[in-house]
Amino acid sequence: MLNLAKVLLDASLVFILLALITNVVLLSAARRVNRLAAAKVPAKVAVGAGVGGRSLDDAVTSVDAGMTDADNEAATPPSTKAKQKATPLNMAAFGTGFTIVAWALMTAYIIVRMTITGHGPFSNMHEFAVSFVWGIMAAYLVAFWRFKVRMLSLVVLPVAACLDFYAISLGVGVETLLPALQNNVLLTLHVGFAMLSYGAACVSFAAAILYLIYPYLKLKISRDKLDEIGYKGAVVAFPLMTIMILLGALWAKTAWGAYWSWDPKESAALVTWILYAAFMHARVARGWRGTRSAWLLIIGFAAVMVAYFGNYFLGGLHSAYK
Amino acid sequence: MTSSDTDIRPDQASVPEATSLPTQSSLAESEDLPVISIGQFFQRLYQVTYSKTIGLIIILVTAVFVFIGMMLTQAPSGTWSDPAGRDQFMSMMHAKYGAWATLLGGMGFFHVFTSIPFFIVMAALAISIAGCTSHRIPQMWQQWRHPRVLVSERFFTAARYQASVPTSGKDDQALHVVQDKLKAAHYRVIRGNDTSLYADKYSWGGFGTVAAHLSFIIIMAAFVVSGLTGYQGIVNVFVGGSPVSVGDKSGLTLEAPDFNATYDDTTGRPLDYVSHLILRDGDTVVAEQDVRVNSPMTYKGFAFHQNNYGMGVDVSVKDSSGNTLFSGAVPQPYTSTDKKFAIGEFTLPDLGLVVQVLSPVSGTTNADIGPGQLGFAIFRDGESDAMATSVVDQGTSATVRDLTLSFVREGQFTGIMVRQDPGATWMWIGSILLVVGMTVTFTFRHRRLWVRAQDGKLLLASADKEDSGFREHFNQLVSQAQTWFSVRSK
Repeated sequence: MLNLAKVLLDASLVFILLALITNVVLLSAARRVNRLAAAKVPAKVAVGAGVGGRSLDDAVTSVDAGMTDADNEAATPPSTKAKQKATPLNMAAFGTGFTIVAWALMTAYIIVRMTITGHGPFSNMHEFAVSFVWGIMAAYLVAFWRFKVRMLSLVVLPVAACLDFYAISLGVGVETLLPALQNNVLLTLHVGFAMLSYGAACVSFAAAILYLIYPYLKLKISRDKLDEIGYKGAVVAFPLMTIMILLGALWAKTAWGAYWSWDPKESAALVTWILYAAFMHARVARGWRGTRSAWLLIIGFAAVMVAYFGNYFLGGLHSAYK
Repeated sequence: MTSSDTDIRPDQASVPEATSLPTQSSLAESEDLPVISIGQFFQRLYQVTYSKTIGLIIILVTAVFVFIGMMLTQAPSGTWSDPAGRDQFMSMMHAKYGAWATLLGGMGFFHVFTSIPFFIVMAALAISIAGCTSHRIPQMWQQWRHPRVLVSERFFTAARYQASVPTSGKDDQALHVVQDKLKAAHYRVIRGNDTSLYADKYSWGGFGTVAAHLSFIIIMAAFVVSGLTGYQGIVNVFVGGSPVSVGDKSGLTLEAPDFNATYDDTTGRPLDYVSHLILRDGDTVVAEQDVRVNSPMTYKGFAFHQNNYGMGVDVSVKDSSGNTLFSGAVPQPYTSTDKKFAIGEFTLPDLGLVVQVLSPVSGTTNADIGPGQLGFAIFRDGESDAMATSVVDQGTSATVRDLTLSFVREGQFTGIMVRQDPGATWMWIGSILLVVGMTVTFTFRHRRLWVRAQDGKLLLASADKEDSGFREHFNQLVSQAQTWFSVRSK
């Protein structure tokens, strides 16, 4: 059974990489076309870029998702519409398809593993990593469905691939739960919320990175849209993170007798939470947008990673869970 | 524009009020500063408390403090206030951080969360939150109960969200239609005059932020209550031994007839720790259960948690009158530098003494303390030289300096964390309020819409912040209006 699970996990990594490569090719093509369009060179490749002010990326994602902007659709000549459905653009479907397959394989792996262990995949760093990747992929797919910005994958998928590789490198062996972790409800809720929150934070981080390097990307996607995705990601991540910390406090009270002990991992989660609180405050109350806002999101996700890997170097009560 | 129309610019409508603090130039201009009244002084002080910039700075400073506390080893509770404990802790820090330890210790970085600067920042944060919240409540109340209904004509061409829909009919009829439509979409609709209306949704949504901010203060208060009241201590109960006082003048005693630790045969990982505990209030048994890490026992606000276990010695100390000064299990978690002795200690607070108990480590040969013997070393609190020592055989006693030291036996003890925390209730109240407040804030955002019917057109506008979700919603409303009026015109 574990061998089957291992295959699923390996396959998920392969599909993440395939999705990444596909998207890189797609977006490179879009960038090239946009450059040509900018230089007013007739685009002879079979793409619909530049029509009605839309980039290939927009077109690709629209076609891919089966959704088109009504105005742009109306402005698009029939010949171009036909070209949008031509072969090169079908790569978009592959890019999205590979991502969905990778996420599905990851889901299947988690289900198989849960069947074997009898608890959620949250008991050691391997399981944390798998859950983290699952959360990132889920958050990315939701963001893609909502905003149709494929570029996010250029940051999200490498992060997911690295964590997936890291999870595989730790081995898939099943270990018994340490006594402190033997609380299935709180284990599932506490770590589950953490993974969803961290996944949303990763999407937010990706949007922030893309916002900062936007001038070098030469794509016509609105920069404000990236700014908004960064904010929306944080709007999702922040409440989930809050619930995660409060559930952790509840669990700490149950298991250790104190809802807060200033354990280093608790502090790491609190630092992360404070940074996102600062982001929300700066954004809503002070009107921070753009570069400053993006940097706060990047620092916030760096704090997420410190909190995540903190079991290795921070010491304290969580250091046993590796 | 009617005389009652108020000229609202989009930025005014979308951005909450900003109260300006005195600028440097304004201060520089006033060499002869006018004397301000007490009222003005407090007004300015209040302005500082709700300054969003200062609030942001305080939040980031808090993050810095917590980050320091996260990265650097923190002294265990009570260690820093005890000179001997602090010296011992600092010697460990010198070994870990080298010469930096002195500097870091001097800056209070090894006890960040009990340091004065941290308390000051927390107090500033609480004041800032209270100031911001109290400042916003009247504005939110105004927006909720008495929203600004009328806007200028220019607003409809300058707002972030704006649209114009031909109505092909009478303006007042068109407005009625829109009013009904918005009401059906669960908007609150207020007619401004014959040609305009104001509509909004979730006008109470802003109070979510009030709840969330208030929850921070409650949670901080919970920390204070937990820190200043209640009781926390570890009671080491000898397995199979006599009952041990819980402490804190509770009148409670704990007995542990049984303890089991099980391990995975293959990996050696611990599987379970379970103490069978009997709790007595006076002579009456009031609770009895198997206590595991995630299954504490509770009684009258006290909670008993499985904390640790190990090998230790059962000892007692009596004074010359026969009064028992100490009786119970003493764990021996430390090892002497020559690796020959397992060491534990307990205190006799009324006498200002610390007693160390030393057992020979299995497999070593000691001339001073043999197998089946226990060494006692008595120190004055804070001193490093023993004032008296004695070696006692198991099951016997020795008298040293008017103290009778008894070595009952060696064996296993279970460490039970006893906690009484009146702050916890407030913590959970604050937590629930925080989640509810956040949910309301992020789910039910206040949406506002101004509509005017004039010259056969319907003008719609909103000055809400840029948001793709609301833009979609706005466009959908406009599209519906277009469809509806187009059908009517046919």
